[in-house]
Amino acid sequence: MARRPDEEYDYLFKVVLIGDSGVGKSNLLSRFTRNEFCLESKSTIGVEFATRTLQVEGRTIKAQIWDTAGQERYRAITSAYYRGALGALLVYDVTKPTTFENVSRWLKELRDHADANIVIMLIGNKTDLKHLRAVAVEDAQSFAEREGLSFIETSALEAVNVEKSFQTILGEIYRIISKKSISGGETGPASIKQGETLVVGAQDGNTKKTCCSSS
Amino acid sequence: MEKKRVDESLQVPAPGRVDRFGFVKQEHNSPDGLSRNKSALEYQREQKRLRKWRKMIGVGGSDWKHYVRRKPHVVKRRIRKGIPDCLRGLVWQLISGSRDLLLMNPGVYEQLVIYETSASELDIIRDISRTFPSHVFYQQRHGPGQRSLYNVLKAYSVYDREVGYVQGMGYLAGLLLLYMSEEDAFWLVVALLKGAVHAPMEGLYLEGLPLVQQYLFQFDRLMREYMPKLGEHFTEEMINPSMYGSQWFITVFSYSFPFHLALRIWDVFLYEGVKIVFKVGLALLKYCHDDLVKLPFEKLIHALRNFPDDAMNPDVLLPMAYSFKVSKRLEELEQEYEKIHGKVAESKAKQKQPQLT
Ligand SMILES: Nc1nc2c(ncn2[C@@H]2O[C@H](COP(=O)(O)OP(=O)(O)OP(=O)(O)O)[C@@H](O)[C@H]2O)c(=O)[nH]1
Ligand SMILES: [Mg+2]
Repeated sequence: MARRPDEEYDYLFKVVLIGDSGVGKSNLLSRFTRNEFCLESKSTIGVEFATRTLQVEGRTIKAQIWDTAGQERYRAITSAYYRGALGALLVYDVTKPTTFENVSRWLKELRDHADANIVIMLIGNKTDLKHLRAVAVEDAQSFAEREGLSFIETSALEAVNVEKSFQTILGEIYRIISKKSISGGETGPASIKQGETLVVGAQDGNTKKTCCSSS
Repeated sequence: MEKKRVDESLQVPAPGRVDRFGFVKQEHNSPDGLSRNKSALEYQREQKRLRKWRKMIGVGGSDWKHYVRRKPHVVKRRIRKGIPDCLRGLVWQLISGSRDLLLMNPGVYEQLVIYETSASELDIIRDISRTFPSHVFYQQRHGPGQRSLYNVLKAYSVYDREVGYVQGMGYLAGLLLLYMSEEDAFWLVVALLKGAVHAPMEGLYLEGLPLVQQYLFQFDRLMREYMPKLGEHFTEEMINPSMYGSQWFITVFSYSFPFHLALRIWDVFLYEGVKIVFKVGLALLKYCHDDLVKLPFEKLIHALRNFPDDAMNPDVLLPMAYSFKVSKRLEELEQEYEKIHGKVAESKAKQKQPQLT
């Protein structure tokens, strides 16, 4: 079977989208992967999944993104998906202070269930609703600094900073991974299966192969 | 996810723009198997079927219980062929046991709606416009559809504070409200979650979602027994049932399946219980088996969430579903699951009625 060009990539990075229900996780994902937005999207039941391949720092990166249900009760199902993720986009809604207050609880979730060196990016979404803003940029910014997270504000509706947020986190993951390979943290070019992989190079021999493990 | 106009229009779409169930038609509408014109013969057959059903039910359901006791198999067979749409609401209430709950609890619903407050109110409001967003009944902001949906969900979250409100319940209530009044829909939700006739569903929504976990375990095993080759392929590709099956159980196929198919599944679900969810799930996998075994991880995930249109035809899918015999295995697998994980908790509040299955 001939591999189609869109399936060639240097790295495969698994990323999870987390945060309270209704903050716009699914719309950030659909904006990023299909350039679509939906004002009345259904709430996510369980998990959804999408991918996009893009250029980051001159490399072809395939982002495999898991979008999870935000309601607390669903963590029983969704927390299993944190494992093996290299990055987490932790989203809150800039018009809803409680979704920002809950960010600490989401960080704890990650500490309990995700790999220790997962790259986390804090995202304040819905900046288009200017008149409803209730979380100041500065507060989020300083919180992110204290916790060592990168931070960005987005609007999935107006497609502002969505691309940039994914680019940034994928770039950060890439830098960590490539540093690791140089410093000898490299595992053999084993072909790890995609479902659970931390990072995989392209599976077959017809693309450049780079393979590392993050833990 | 529905694509919708981005403007927040309040106007109700013209009748030609909605399908026969009230959903706004998508531009590239997939065939729903119903839009084609009916032949005279089909029409006659339908009228005959309706007469049989009316006789079976009696005025306002008066003959129903008697008929079911005398000829349960006739009832089962007819339900599997689909309940006539104009009788659906009434029949659903009769077979689910909700009618009895309603009669035994006069005034309770009103009390719950008007006088009680719920800790879940904001969560419910947040999801109201995200439930069946493409159905005309639920599109108007604060319109009658949204208000009823809110009332039923709020009432339930007060009635059963341990379950409260969980995303997905809106689809249950939303589907029922298209066929019956608020109070009737509320008691039907109660009948389902508390197990008036079949095993209680509340474990699907309780803390930890214990019943979801159990059902997914059972489904995974059944699927491997019936389709070993696909099972092996899923293992290799690291597909597990929570990636595609959670919403099948949590919303009984009402979340993302075509509505005409969901209704046919619900007809059987209310009469025969959750078994049908397993059977339909198995039928879906079997129908697509030869494609699925060839697909790599990502395409698999996509295929498991986007079944082809021809698989969505109830008259093809359901007979296939009925051909799976699962009752005995389900029981054994439940015991096996309990041995590993302990018994799946039911809410501490005692069930309203004994389980009759
Ligand atoms: N104004 C505005 N609305 C948005 C934006 N992003 C999402 N929304 C709206 O917010 C609501 C919730 O969006 P979702 O993407 O479904 O939220 P979610 O985080 O996936 O929610 P769960 O699946 O329940 O966890 C929808 O009505 C969206 O249209 C945004 O950038 N601006
Ligand atoms: Mg979502």
